[in-house]
Amino acid sequence: MSDTLVLAQIADGAVHDVSLQCVAKARSLADASGGKVSCLAVGSRVSEAAKCLFGYGADAVYAVEDARLEHYLTTPYKKALKAFLEVHPHPVVVLPATTVGNDLAPMAAAELRAACVMGCDDVRTEGDGTRTKRMEFDRKVFTSFSAPAGTTLVVTLKDGAAEAPAADASKQGDVQAFDAQLADTDFVAKVLHRDVATKSVNLKDAKIIVAAGAGLGNEENFGKVRELAGKLGAELGATRAVVDAGWLPADHQIGQTGATVRPDVYMACGISGAVQHWVGMSESKTIVAINIDKAAPILKRAHYRIVGDVNAVIPKLLKVLA
Amino acid sequence: MAFNIMVIVREVWDTRDLAGTVLDEGGQVKAGALATRFETEDLNALEAALRIKDENGGTVTAISVGAPREVDVLRECLYRGVDQAVRVEANPGELDTQATAGLLAEAIKKQGHYDLILSGVTLAEGENALLGSYVAALLGIEQISYVDAIEEIGDGSVVGKRGIEMGYESVQVPLPALLTVGVALVEDDPRTPRSAKAMLKLKAKKVDIPALTPGDLGVDPASLVTTAIAGHESVPERLIESKDVDPDDEAALKSMLDDVLKGE
Repeated sequence: MSDTLVLAQIADGAVHDVSLQCVAKARSLADASGGKVSCLAVGSRVSEAAKCLFGYGADAVYAVEDARLEHYLTTPYKKALKAFLEVHPHPVVVLPATTVGNDLAPMAAAELRAACVMGCDDVRTEGDGTRTKRMEFDRKVFTSFSAPAGTTLVVTLKDGAAEAPAADASKQGDVQAFDAQLADTDFVAKVLHRDVATKSVNLKDAKIIVAAGAGLGNEENFGKVRELAGKLGAELGATRAVVDAGWLPADHQIGQTGATVRPDVYMACGISGAVQHWVGMSESKTIVAINIDKAAPILKRAHYRIVGDVNAVIPKLLKVLA
Repeated sequence: MAFNIMVIVREVWDTRDLAGTVLDEGGQVKAGALATRFETEDLNALEAALRIKDENGGTVTAISVGAPREVDVLRECLYRGVDQAVRVEANPGELDTQATAGLLAEAIKKQGHYDLILSGVTLAEGENALLGSYVAALLGIEQISYVDAIEEIGDGSVVGKRGIEMGYESVQVPLPALLTVGVALVEDDPRTPRSAKAMLKLKAKKVDIPALTPGDLGVDPASLVTTAIAGHESVPERLIESKDVDPDDEAALKSMLDDVLKGE
């Protein structure tokens, strides 16, 4: 029997979609072993949003409400998770592999002397234990991990590890408050300032994505990429460098701290294909890469390789499309 | 104000552009199939530490676990200007990340006063994630992860610019603190880590790097291991049929667009 706890990451009144995938994974773990799925939401004004978790497959939902937790902070979250697990032990804890889950999981695991594996592609029951696996070595090897009997296993699950479950509105329940007894001394860290884009683009469901990289050189050249995307009916994606340059808001970012996408067509314009970007788009069905550097990693993995100056190639594509 | 900074550095498998299979017939990682390199995010952490020292004075100590295989990361740190390097002698094959962190935490305590600990965050698909967080937890200090820039240090606190989904946040924590540093550096990025200096190379080539054993640290690493590798399996290779398209051939570009857009 494997009771699983999911940390439900809630922001702006909505449960993060990778957390919903975690609930789906926890549900299949529990169904395979006859265990239960509990969810824990930590934050300020999270209880209302947490109600929907019953519809996604949770058997019990708990919330640590604290007005001081407007934003994620490592120490109070860690304390809350630890306090919760001391009262309600769960052998498996699943968190989303976001900048929240990946920050919290090892901190909590160290406190709990738990096993911890981050960025997993799967977690499943095998024999009498739980196994988790992730891709390593340039996505060539799956490595499976296990925790010794009696040790809690803390896992962060990658975006795409499970399908987000469909909500069943008929399943309802009460969110139970949990008092984690957080003290003022737990709040020594402070979020001074936050700059987060509002989501204006849906990259996840896009069929065609035209993505811009630093190879474009300047914002004027980037304008041509925008034009190309418009012509193709594509959404615009970007690397972190492009977002940092201010050419596109951060909700267009694809990769490690951006979106994970699986479009039919991914057109990489002036993107070298560093692993931080590659992990966000490697499952695209068809990859077209335009890069002047024939050693750029993205060219080795593209279905169509165009070795040339992206700022010369894009006008040609626009001409062909005219 | 001068700061004493510790930088945790690692020699890791170089998994870029791997050719062929990684596993042998028995499902084990092939010895010699992979080269190693200085973990790139640790290099960024080292650069961040050296910049704080350049501006404020103080010391930078590099620390690593295990004997060097191909790249002596500690000596590389000396070549870039750290004041001292410390090696913890242990067999990485017998350690998991928690046990490694246990050794590092004790070794750091032995170095005396420190204000800041820096390390690389995690590899996107790495074998060595979580290390920094474990060390912070074991030392009982605050951490900031995914730090792209250190915005301010002084007055008993540090402010890190943390890269999060769809944006950034600036987080302030009291010192001592541990920051894990990320950043996908682009080649012409002014933040690119400095390279080794010839003068320092001459000076540090033969310097003895002090080594600490688990016994010196009073740590039994085996007792700290919590995560076991249950096995490896090869991921079925995704065969990609690559076509080169001549950027000067408009007919070829058109035919490519036609193919792509009709879903071939």
